[in-house]
Amino acid sequence: MSAMEHGEPAEPAAPAEPAEPAAPASPAKPARRGRGGPRSKTMIGLYLAAPYVVYLIIVYAVPIIQGFRISVLDYVYAAPGASVPQPFVGLKNYREALSDPLLRRSFLNILEFLAINVPLTVILGMTLAAVLAKLSRMKTFFRSAFFVPYVTASIAVIGVWYFLFSQGGLMDHVLGSWAPNPSWLVNSKLAMVVIALEVTWKQLGFYVLLYLAGVLLIPDSLYEAASIDGAGPVRQFRAITMPALRNITILVTTLALIVGANLFAEPYLLTGGGGPNGATMSPALLIYQKGVEQGEPGVGAAIGILLTLFILLVAGAGAGARRLVQAREAA
Amino acid sequence: MARMRTFTAALTALTCTALTLAGCSSGGGGGGQARSGPIKIWYSNNAQEVSWGKATVALWNKAHPSEQVSGEQIPAGSSSEEVITAAIAAGNAPCLVFNGSPSAISGWVKQGGLVPLNDFPDGVSYIQGRTGATVASEYKSSDGKYYQLPWKSNPVMIFYNKDMFKAAGLDPDHPALSTYADFEAAAQKLVGSGVAQYAIAPAPTNEFYQNWYDYYPLYIAQSGGQPLVANGKATFDDAAGQAVADFWAGVYAKNQAPKEKYNGDAFVDKKAAMAIVGPWAIATYAGKVNWGAVPVPTSTGMPADQIHTFADSKTVSVFTACKNRQSAWDFLKFATDQANDGTLLSMTGQMPLRTDLPTTYASYFSANPEYTLFAQQASRTVEVPNVANGVTMWQDFRNGYLKSVVFGQQPTSQWLHSAASTVVSDIGK
Amino acid sequence: MRSGQYGRTLRRLTTYGFVTLGALASIFPLYYMVVGSLQLRADSAFSGLIPKAGNLGLQNYRDVNRAISLLPSLGNSAIFTLGTVVLTIVVGLPAGYALARLRFPGKPAVAGGLILVLVLPFQVLMIPLYILAVRDYGLADNYLGMILPFAVNPAAVLIFRQFFISLPDELFDAAHIDGAGEVRTLLLVAAPLTKPAILTATVITFIGPWNEFLWPFLITKKHSMQPLAVSLGEYVSTNAATAANPYGVILAGACVLAVPVIALFLVAQRYFTSAALGSGVKE
Repeated sequence: MSAMEHGEPAEPAAPAEPAEPAAPASPAKPARRGRGGPRSKTMIGLYLAAPYVVYLIIVYAVPIIQGFRISVLDYVYAAPGASVPQPFVGLKNYREALSDPLLRRSFLNILEFLAINVPLTVILGMTLAAVLAKLSRMKTFFRSAFFVPYVTASIAVIGVWYFLFSQGGLMDHVLGSWAPNPSWLVNSKLAMVVIALEVTWKQLGFYVLLYLAGVLLIPDSLYEAASIDGAGPVRQFRAITMPALRNITILVTTLALIVGANLFAEPYLLTGGGGPNGATMSPALLIYQKGVEQGEPGVGAAIGILLTLFILLVAGAGAGARRLVQAREAA
Repeated sequence: MARMRTFTAALTALTCTALTLAGCSSGGGGGGQARSGPIKIWYSNNAQEVSWGKATVALWNKAHPSEQVSGEQIPAGSSSEEVITAAIAAGNAPCLVFNGSPSAISGWVKQGGLVPLNDFPDGVSYIQGRTGATVASEYKSSDGKYYQLPWKSNPVMIFYNKDMFKAAGLDPDHPALSTYADFEAAAQKLVGSGVAQYAIAPAPTNEFYQNWYDYYPLYIAQSGGQPLVANGKATFDDAAGQAVADFWAGVYAKNQAPKEKYNGDAFVDKKAAMAIVGPWAIATYAGKVNWGAVPVPTSTGMPADQIHTFADSKTVSVFTACKNRQSAWDFLKFATDQANDGTLLSMTGQMPLRTDLPTTYASYFSANPEYTLFAQQASRTVEVPNVANGVTMWQDFRNGYLKSVVFGQQPTSQWLHSAASTVVSDIGK
Repeated sequence: MRSGQYGRTLRRLTTYGFVTLGALASIFPLYYMVVGSLQLRADSAFSGLIPKAGNLGLQNYRDVNRAISLLPSLGNSAIFTLGTVVLTIVVGLPAGYALARLRFPGKPAVAGGLILVLVLPFQVLMIPLYILAVRDYGLADNYLGMILPFAVNPAAVLIFRQFFISLPDELFDAAHIDGAGEVRTLLLVAAPLTKPAILTATVITFIGPWNEFLWPFLITKKHSMQPLAVSLGEYVSTNAATAANPYGVILAGACVLAVPVIALFLVAQRYFTSAALGSGVKE
């Protein structure tokens, strides 16, 4: 960070401090007056960041530690004052979670979600961004149009999707006798596809904006040079745009992984609780069922940790594959 | 540097506090066995029960100025069990909840949230005197104590739409629905003639309790009154369980019931010609459906007075968060005495769990003959087994049912067999 | 010459055709949401796409209002969302400033923590946070309990940080020479310039809690405390209430839920450019 590189002006001995209502300022005063110089500045940075640090501790650090603790206990939501034994059970909760075929299914469902969501998002997001960047008119209109689904609540979107894809819905009417049987949302092959499409549609606008940010960073001179070399728009896209957006694609993939793991409202509401027959079960829904509904927080916490490991594993595998490809390209 | 150390120390202290808070189950609370004073209660949030609750509380408060009861609707969206579980953990449960679910009792006991009613000198005698020792014993927990007072039941039966039956050429007053063959023939006519989109529409979703309104009542009837689990063993991996599974599998295979969740009440909306539900629903059908009711079917038919069904009962418990437990118990007895049970019956149409229902409230039943059938059925009901991890057990059962019976992806016999061992391992955890 | 012009026109036509198609696909379901919410009888036939005079009305809005009383739910959504936005700005802005322009002990850890929480899946936290909030912090059915996990949006902190980094050093040098302390520099120099960053962060932060279902669903069980997304979700899942057109009722609720956030976005979208967003992700 360059902020500290420039010279540090010494604090005046008696700073003309107006009566500032800002809370973070007051605890800093004695330090500044007492010692002055760079150290006081150091403390101010800490004070400014402190509320956020406290927040990180309360909402992230403590629960994560607590999560590990619960996952190795036979934890009970005990009443205050009740003496309820919560014995250490080692890895029992993990074993129980892993022996549940629904958990394996829910992990596979994430992969299925990724297989549909990522290619669609990358292709459509990149192309729309590249095209959008070239528009001379109505750019704002189109950008907003793509983005509106992203700001709309999942619950609202689910309502429409339900109207579209339920038995006898618009989709069935459009397809007529081609309509799938069993119907979309109760068809174990199609239900997850419908959810993946819904999420892709909803998120696409956000990714278009990300890609657009990347596209706008590409210097025009590159395209001009390519144009002089006689490259058409398609070749320009493949030779210049796509490689320049590689980092954003990595981000998109990572975010898609997290979104897939976090699916809750869709399987809970659209497919009647992860149905049909577990085809749309998601880890988040399973954690809710086990940890809250069935009163087994130990198992729920264990699934949470297993899921994090799974995400790291998939993300790691992705990174490894990328490096392999890059190495091969370099060779 | 010193300052920084102070800051770090403060952070560490903060973390530790939070961790200790989370770690220990702080002392205090409890006690207060036989005290009297004002209490707080929750009742269900359906309109009829709210008016009963208000009336009963007002009646009590007039006569007990020093033991005022404040009644509230249970602050629940979809699942009151979850709300109560969370309230126990947070320590802000009320004294009494008039909406306990027998399947959840074992969990609440494990949380240390419920007071055994045996603690009250007349606890056991009152429960057994009101409900009858045999029926009451179903509500005992595994340690032999009563943590719930069996309050009311909603014996599940088959409701049918008389107009639709007539239109399909079926007898609207005495429909033949007692055997599986009868039921299937009727279903075929209803759906085949285009009178109804579906013969019947149980929710095909995977909430743990949904089997209480499709498989379980029919299994109880078919088996002559067996609960799902008896003596630590699954009962349903036999001919009776098989017959019921095959019956429902047939209904789904012939598309006589929807495999997709219906938004709204399919029976009220005339999408389904039949419903499988208890008498609480009568209030919602009033003025919308010209309905009749018959007992649930069995494979080869049984006389109506021998058919058992699922009780779908609600119970009342005293919570450990309650300080004035004596008042709570006294109010509980007051709210479930003969007069207030009569009010409950007339205001909600639900069946108080007491002996000799039809004779005790003879005048009510002669004035409301449509409820007589339910009163008779109420003496032959079975609840969910009072076992540990009941919710897990039902969830696993439900998952397998959907796969095998609804979606036909596994032979029913195979499912029943594996479900029997899953159930045993669930309740033994 | 002429063929080149012809080609360019063709290319422009394809370009606009492509984005128009994309825009239609983006907007169509929302259009259908509005149309469906106004249908007195659910009409899922193809011709139902065009509203028919005889089948139009506000009955679904009345029904959804009866089932989940919209105004209090919207009020809860507003408190939940605005609380989050305010906390994000009050806590996140100084933190972003400190991370961008100040050196202090533990800074790498805080910066690392910021990135970590951005990618951490919520499920790891779900059960322990639920236990802590309900049992230990006593925050069930409480606005603070709803806000807690969202209180300081990490993406917004990142946006603030990137924004302060992008401001020219000279600006701060001048302030320092004038003898302003860091707090005054932040308040008097940096803050007035942060309007676009604050607006971007507000939109990003706003849509999170406004649309969130899972966490408030866990933490609020009282109907009177539930934000609209949760009451609507519970209406969908229990489908207990009977209405003439249950689909239409859900869609009416969906419209009420969607309109405020779409309106906010359209108002703020001038500031909400991909450049502002991009600064948050360049990293």
